[in-house]
Amino acid sequence: MTDQTLSRGPAWFWGGAFFVGMFGTGFAARALDLGSIPSALVMVPPMLLLIPLVRASEKAQAECGALSPATRRYNRRGLIWAFGYVIFLFVAVFGAKSGASGPLLWLLALLPALPIFLMLWTMARYLVEETDEYLRLRVINAALWATGLLLAVATVWGFLETFELVPHVPGWAAVPVWAVGLGASSIVNRWREA
Amino acid sequence: MKNRLKVLRAERGWSQQDLAERLEVSRQSVNAIETGRYDPSLPLAFRIADLFGMTIEEIFQRGE
Repeated sequence: MTDQTLSRGPAWFWGGAFFVGMFGTGFAARALDLGSIPSALVMVPPMLLLIPLVRASEKAQAECGALSPATRRYNRRGLIWAFGYVIFLFVAVFGAKSGASGPLLWLLALLPALPIFLMLWTMARYLVEETDEYLRLRVINAALWATGLLLAVATVWGFLETFELVPHVPGWAAVPVWAVGLGASSIVNRWREA
Repeated sequence: MKNRLKVLRAERGWSQQDLAERLEVSRQSVNAIETGRYDPSLPLAFRIADLFGMTIEEIFQRGE
């Protein structure tokens, strides 16, 4: 086993823990019929797993010589908006359950989209700020693969939904699907380089 | 594209990290160029050539 594969251990562990934690609490909340607000609350602890996940990923990137200052800034900003998303989502759900209506409801409904826009800005800033052309190309490739995966999943799901074979999925699900694609293609990149 | 980067680096006793720092790129970039997985842009190729005091053609050649 090389040093590179050894260093991936913690990142894999935290990544797996985050994935299991988020989906586990999500399914548990639905199975136990906890309601919107408790469901949002029980998903906060697994969200905190993002912190060790980002730290372990940065350590692994540094050890294999792929951690640039722009990557570090991207990670920091991404982490802030991820927590912002949870907080804004909680506020929106809480506000809607409290009986908000009219323009206020519109505002609340759009609130969770704000950190997602900031996440898009973070990605754009990364591409502008990254001075290492190879690292930038790798991220662009990963983003294209993620976009392809999203289009494929959306198309297949859309047709299955049209023929009433699967339940409806809200449009915002595009973001996590894209993020999973980005993560998966980054992992494939690293495997190919190892 | 083939290149002599690894040989030129070894002649000077530089590690990939040393070369990366001199070029102000990541070690991963140097590794990708040396192993032929990535062909550098013209500006980076000029930086590499300047660093070794050679022309681009003396470092990079046609071919897989």
